[in-house]
Amino acid sequence: MRRLLLALPVLALTAGAAFAQPKDTLVVDMPGDVATMDPHLQWDTESYTVYRNIFDNLVTRDVSGKIVPQVATAWKYTDDKTIVFDLRSDITFQDGSKLTPEDVAFSIRRIINPDFKSPQLSQFDQIASAEVTGPAQVTLKTKTTYPALMAQLVKLSIVPKAYVEKLGDQKFNQEPMGSGPYRLRAWQRGVQSTLDAVDTHWRGKPPFKTVTFRAVPDIPTRLADLRTGRADITYGLSPDDAEAMKAEKALQLLTVPTERIAYLFVNPTATATKDKRVRQAIAMAIDRESIISALQQGYAKPVNIVLTPANFGYIADIPGWPHDPAKARALIKAAGAEGATIKLITSPAYDRRLNEAVQQMLGDVGLKVEISMTDQPTFLKRRQGTPEEAESLSQGRWSCACQDADGVIFPLFRSGSIWSKMSNPAFDAEVDAARVTLDEAKRLSHYRKAFEILREEVPGVGLFQNVAIYLARKELKWTPTANEAFFVTDMKWQ
Amino acid sequence: MIRHLAGRLGQALVASFGVLTIVFFVMRLSGDPTLLLVPEGATAEQIAALRHALGFDRPLFVQYLSYLADLARLDLGESLVQRSGVAGIVAERIPYTVELAAGALVVALGIGIPAGVAMAVWRGGMVERLLAGFVLTGQSLPTFWSGILLILLFGVHLRWLPTSGADGLSSLVMPAIALGALTMSTFARMTRIAVLDELSRDYVSAARARGLSLGAAVARHVLRNAAIPVVTIAALEVGNLLAGAVIVETVFAWPGIGQLAIQSIAARDFLIVQTVVLFVSVVYIGMNLLADIAYAVIDPRIRLDR
Amino acid sequence: MSARFSPGIVLILLLLAAFVLAAAGADLLSPADPLRQSLLLRLREPGFASRTATYWLGTDDLGRDLLSRILYGARASLLVAALSVSVSLVVGTALGLLAGWFRGWTAVLIMRFVDTMLSIPAILLAVLTVAVLGPGFLKLVMVLGLTRWPRYTRVAYAATLQVAGLPYIKAAEMAGCGATRILWRHILPNIAGPLMVVATSEFGLMILFEAGLSFLGLGIQPPYPSWGSIMSAGRQYVTRAWWLTVFPGACLFVLVLCVNLFGDWLRDRVDPRSRGR
Repeated sequence: MRRLLLALPVLALTAGAAFAQPKDTLVVDMPGDVATMDPHLQWDTESYTVYRNIFDNLVTRDVSGKIVPQVATAWKYTDDKTIVFDLRSDITFQDGSKLTPEDVAFSIRRIINPDFKSPQLSQFDQIASAEVTGPAQVTLKTKTTYPALMAQLVKLSIVPKAYVEKLGDQKFNQEPMGSGPYRLRAWQRGVQSTLDAVDTHWRGKPPFKTVTFRAVPDIPTRLADLRTGRADITYGLSPDDAEAMKAEKALQLLTVPTERIAYLFVNPTATATKDKRVRQAIAMAIDRESIISALQQGYAKPVNIVLTPANFGYIADIPGWPHDPAKARALIKAAGAEGATIKLITSPAYDRRLNEAVQQMLGDVGLKVEISMTDQPTFLKRRQGTPEEAESLSQGRWSCACQDADGVIFPLFRSGSIWSKMSNPAFDAEVDAARVTLDEAKRLSHYRKAFEILREEVPGVGLFQNVAIYLARKELKWTPTANEAFFVTDMKWQ
Repeated sequence: MIRHLAGRLGQALVASFGVLTIVFFVMRLSGDPTLLLVPEGATAEQIAALRHALGFDRPLFVQYLSYLADLARLDLGESLVQRSGVAGIVAERIPYTVELAAGALVVALGIGIPAGVAMAVWRGGMVERLLAGFVLTGQSLPTFWSGILLILLFGVHLRWLPTSGADGLSSLVMPAIALGALTMSTFARMTRIAVLDELSRDYVSAARARGLSLGAAVARHVLRNAAIPVVTIAALEVGNLLAGAVIVETVFAWPGIGQLAIQSIAARDFLIVQTVVLFVSVVYIGMNLLADIAYAVIDPRIRLDR
Repeated sequence: MSARFSPGIVLILLLLAAFVLAAAGADLLSPADPLRQSLLLRLREPGFASRTATYWLGTDDLGRDLLSRILYGARASLLVAALSVSVSLVVGTALGLLAGWFRGWTAVLIMRFVDTMLSIPAILLAVLTVAVLGPGFLKLVMVLGLTRWPRYTRVAYAATLQVAGLPYIKAAEMAGCGATRILWRHILPNIAGPLMVVATSEFGLMILFEAGLSFLGLGIQPPYPSWGSIMSAGRQYVTRAWWLTVFPGACLFVLVLCVNLFGDWLRDRVDPRSRGR
């Protein structure tokens, strides 16, 4: 023990040296490690955060959320199912080879090839084909008229055809190479990934010489890393963590309302919530204002429907259910459900406090809520299973990363979808119609009708628009975006 | 002796096989990773298609046989989540775990055994109570809390040690203390009891009657005999260390197999979990074989053939 | 007899009794409903008085009275630990005695099964089992109990082997005592010491184990409190609301310390070799 104590000051010196942060590096603390470096495989937040900096995308979004050119310079629909992209011809991959239309077509065909088993397939499977139609041109055909196409293409990374074919898929996953502003230097599994800047990148010299993405699963540890300068930025924090860090002078909180909607699923086809009056009562029993102000500490924006204003299709003037416990209690009594026990299923991935707050609020109007927690895979199995397995309630934080109502209420409430326990032909007709037209005004009017049905039926209650919270060193300049993208090139040291 | 060891090795193989089988079926009963992999909006058909592509729609025993067939060829398989060889993924983490376990054992034995001897020798006194309180501290606080306290004190407040990660000896100190503290008191108490047992025996009284000092008696005779139960516990504790490592590694962002295992369970990355468990069980069983041999060496009274 | 009850052990017994009483009488002792939330009174410091109540130990992140939660939490934590230790003690000791007495193939079978169980890290097995079975109080007890019994078997086996070789057991055997009688009357008391030590240290470990499962989200289910779940929820507030972890942590520490010291004392008493010293 004594020897150990003597050794400590020596260690302190070496540790202290690491704290001095030269300003041409960036260290990011992530809640986990990268699963795959191949951008066409896993798309969990951590993998996505890292590999998106290694690759360029066909199109991207600007800070305001508008879809803007990246590899593609322009695009136009020649008919409802055909879209032609003009491409840049001045982009080179990190090995010096040119990015050609062949690479773009290859990237699309690779991800939609069922044999490749991409978990992202369902986002791109409306694409029927991708053909090179000119020296700097690619033409896509979709299976049906598909207005969400551009929003999905924001997520498509362009990979080098020759390189991938030479290395094979498995090796490419270990040694990815793209045309992005950073190249992978080293990936120590479970520890960190280190990226080096590509100084000659076509979008300009990247802001940091090296960027390190570390895997630090525990929130208090990440906060300690930020406080000691071991890391420069982190995410995945709760509002309470954010509040606790406000006093830190060297740090700042960067927040942005996102397209992620926090909602409460209310099962319309099984358990006591089968009765519409019970579901409406639940909507009225939940005090969303207190949730936003007390639980979320203001890190949330109120919503009236199960969609955020960051999504296309948001209808601002549909009235939300008012907070009215007395009326809720009366409705529950009228439905004969007073004292009924209902289950809320959940997993550690969801906010425990929100579950317990909902439990209390519903308890106050006469519904006994039992919380049933399992781990995430089991939760998903129950939630996506039969209406009986899904039980009465569950919390959700939904983002389609496409900023479109189609990616939210279609999978959540359209009959036949694994998430939906509702079967309402009128609703189905509206969301189906909105899916196959490119006319925005028409789509909006379909969504208005769809949300009116949802308001009446209450298969879910919109709780709030999620606010993403990033904790960073004060000197870091960055504006986070609604789609929670993490492009290092948008950041810089002041 | 050789025959006995061969027999034990054979039994050990059966035990490892049992471990694999138990874990295989318990894991598969808990569902497969498909739902975690697909985007939120995927349809039932798309999910079924991916499940089929990944082979999780096959009957359980077919999956089991195919796993065993791969294993027989010494192929540990490919992680369907990370799309990479399982052997490589696990092998990259093993050095970290070995480092952490070694550090923890140094802490636990280095403090636990002297404390145990002292507690036995000064039995009933203030020294014993203070030491008992001290060695128990580590075992009576949840690591997920004491770990944070260590980080806040040595990392944030004093800035002596790095707050997380695995670069060099300085990052090992806190996780090793947190993990070692968990088993320190077990060692101390076992040592205390074993030493007390031996002290009460006739040969000690006889030695002391011959004028041997207590310290000399302890050093010369008692420790040797007291080592048997301590060795048993040490072998048991290796398993405990790995279990404790799950939380310690998570808190300190230490990239060992404990963290890997718990994350792989959450991700239903079956083959990684199976490989980790296989590795742990082989190590564990090996340690116990060594402990058996150690008995025979330390105490010839216990014959191996019993 | 009275000489063996030193002031130290009296204090330990009193403290243990206090814990048991607090757990048993949580309904009577609690100043407030441990589940009653008040979102406007979140994270209030100890001694905070609202218009209607005083929160002696402060409130948690949902505005619930921490003192009441700790009292009710004592009940959950003690019950989980006591029940799971009982399950594993009984199962483990029985198997260990059998293996140690009959030796041969019985011992090989039992001890290899023990190796199999022991070589799977208990927490992984527990996490897996909870994932399959789902959480719940009794399931939790069974999971903890049935993953921890092999430790008792190992100790019981080793101790039985040692004791069975002693002359007086041989004498009893030759005098025609049946196996059951010898195991029960002569061997069990002789090996109870080491088993008690394991049981008492396991008791504390079980409380911590439940805490660890709470940390992973699979322990006692919210909103019901256990010390572990209070602490794992409170660790997020370690800098902002120290009381959420310090008070249950202190209870846990004192309890585990008392149980362990009690175990040592008990061991010294039941072990025939140390009698009369």
